[in-house]
Amino acid sequence: MLILDNGVCPSQQGKALFLSLKTRASVRARFQNRELPSMESRMSSDPKEQAGPKTRAAREKKRTLALFYCQNTPESDEAHRQALEKRYASTLKLFPIACSGRLDPLHLLKALEEFADAAYVVACPEGACRYFEGNLRARKRVERTAETISQIGLEKERVGLIANSKENPKPLATLAEEILDRTGLLRPSPVLHRPKRGRGTKEKKDDHSRKKTHG
Amino acid sequence: MKDESRLKRVLDQGGFAVTAECGPPKGADKDTVLRKAELLRGVVDAVNVTDNQTAIVRMSSLAACTLLKSAGLDPVLQVAVRDRNRIALQSDILGASALGVRNILCLSGDHQSFGNQPQAVGVFDLDSIQFVQVVRTMRDKGTILGGESLTKAPELFIGAAANPFGDPFSFRVTRLAKKVAAGAEFIQTQCIYNLDRFEKWMAMARDKGLTEKTYILGGVTPLKSAGMAKYMKKKVAGMDVPDEVIKRLEGVPANQQAEEGLRICVETIQRLKEIPGVRGVHIMAIEWEEKVREIVESAGLMPRPVVSKQ
Amino acid sequence: MITAERKPMDEIRAMIAPYKKLLVLGCGSCVAECAAGGEKETGMLASTLRMANKMEGKEVLIQEKTLDRQCVKDFVILLDDVIDRYDAVLSLGCGAGVQAVAEMFSEIPVLPALNTEFLGETRDQGLWVENCLGCGDCMLDDFGGVCPLARCSKQLLNGPCGGSKDGKCEINPEVPCAWQAIIDRLDRFGSLDRLERIYPPKDWSRKQGGGPRRIRREDQQR
Repeated sequence: MLILDNGVCPSQQGKALFLSLKTRASVRARFQNRELPSMESRMSSDPKEQAGPKTRAAREKKRTLALFYCQNTPESDEAHRQALEKRYASTLKLFPIACSGRLDPLHLLKALEEFADAAYVVACPEGACRYFEGNLRARKRVERTAETISQIGLEKERVGLIANSKENPKPLATLAEEILDRTGLLRPSPVLHRPKRGRGTKEKKDDHSRKKTHG
Repeated sequence: MKDESRLKRVLDQGGFAVTAECGPPKGADKDTVLRKAELLRGVVDAVNVTDNQTAIVRMSSLAACTLLKSAGLDPVLQVAVRDRNRIALQSDILGASALGVRNILCLSGDHQSFGNQPQAVGVFDLDSIQFVQVVRTMRDKGTILGGESLTKAPELFIGAAANPFGDPFSFRVTRLAKKVAAGAEFIQTQCIYNLDRFEKWMAMARDKGLTEKTYILGGVTPLKSAGMAKYMKKKVAGMDVPDEVIKRLEGVPANQQAEEGLRICVETIQRLKEIPGVRGVHIMAIEWEEKVREIVESAGLMPRPVVSKQ
Repeated sequence: MITAERKPMDEIRAMIAPYKKLLVLGCGSCVAECAAGGEKETGMLASTLRMANKMEGKEVLIQEKTLDRQCVKDFVILLDDVIDRYDAVLSLGCGAGVQAVAEMFSEIPVLPALNTEFLGETRDQGLWVENCLGCGDCMLDDFGGVCPLARCSKQLLNGPCGGSKDGKCEINPEVPCAWQAIIDRLDRFGSLDRLERIYPPKDWSRKQGGGPRRIRREDQQR
């Protein structure tokens, strides 16, 4: 799922990471009889999502949430996933991962870059991670991603991590709904839906004089 | 009249020396320096001029020393190694001596991050101990670092600073010994509020025979308020302000705290006089130079001794 | 290792603004170790920059690639086949890497996405500390393996200064006093008496006396 650079020589480090990611998830996938999800396959080919100004009103209601979830979340097996995706159609794209600790900030960024208005993570309750620290690391990574996107003017709330409840663990469907409600309040992502100035948008005149702060 | 160090004469004669500090102005105004000189005339044996203290830009110590000299006082040139490399340091020593300055205090200097030029590079080409050694060699052997001979050796009474209250305590006297071995003829300490700890340090110094080799002057700073005492305790590095001192100031109404602070200062000096090996007091009344006369008088150190000419 | 941190996003964006075809180039060595410029960080930066451009309606080609090392010619040369696609390179290498790439491909601007900082160690996960100045005249044997130049804020060779407090430096309570460490270390070895001798002034000419330094080894050359 890690998107490598287009070209030559992935570093040893990157290669190893990708292989380990693929191996673990592919082991599970074999059991669940589905392919490793790839970003491209999740990209919507729905023409409505690429429509012009006419369907703007319709489009404005439509958002896409990319949801990465730990496979230990209750009721999150393959059957449940398929049912959920059917119910929500292109509004929800689901990505199972072996542990929330497997999440790379790049996954969230790529999702936001290519198709998602928001990208969230569902993790196990604190103290209940099967791999002990995965959910703690995931939280830090999500925070870092939020910080990064805020530096280019995107709302921090476009990413987030929801840890399941320890006392009363909820099934994936419930959590998905909660997150959809929350992120539904955000405006459509300005990355995917540029404010229209007509086709062949004139680029803003760049006046980026180098801003260096002098003490 | 030949230029000479009055401070050295007083100490050599066996007297209890009194020195004070003069901070140069943050400007090119010589009158401020001359005004401070008048406050200290006849009250002290020598006047230390600080060198961009706390890394804040002020008139250069050497310039201010020259002004004090012209006013008939005996200045102590403070030099921090923070701002000058070995070329500039040795050059300034020659210049100071040529201008008639006869006392020098070699210091590390406060780190540049404390002052108003935190973007400056801190030079630290030599450290303070190496610098003492360099000055001593210039004076006694007439050579600079590397061995080249000077046309005329500088004449200077050489001092260093010491902090009995810095960590680690066990190493403090070793460091003092190094300064003496490097050639420090007099030592001025950081200001003292914890006399018990100071006495311990002095005992260790005596044990090592250091009081035979160097003149130790205890530093004092009068506190203006309980607030100042608390600030110094918390914010100033290398300072030991016991809680009893703060409590004593707090126990007095705000408008009387300055007087109490002066009282504490005088008591400290009186105790210092009793400690064997302490050969004088260094009064650092920062921006309160007008009180120095009162302090010296109350401590029974007036009039200052007549110095016999060589 | 050499440590670095990514420049603020605004600064990076201002730097790359004039260009339309950008190669974002990562490095798999030191900067990957300190999580500033490795493959992951390079991917993150490229994605973020693409998003920023999309938000402003700017059509800019931004592609990423990571080399094992940017400071070694043999790796940099691998860009030869693709460099013509771009009008600038945004390098996530350290200063050495940025310049090596610029040296090889001098016809296009190579811009630094990182601020290179210091020679140091990974003291703990997520913590890197400076410990070497590259003075060219190592004295670590005299100081129990603690460098007073790199780790003392005043570079004292006859420390500590009067500001050492509870084992911390006066300028920042998070900075350990190097001299406390040296004293403790030598004490443990039983050689504290070494510190009684006056350490002579440093020969700085080994660091800057000859201008930018170089090492030439005939036995290593073709």
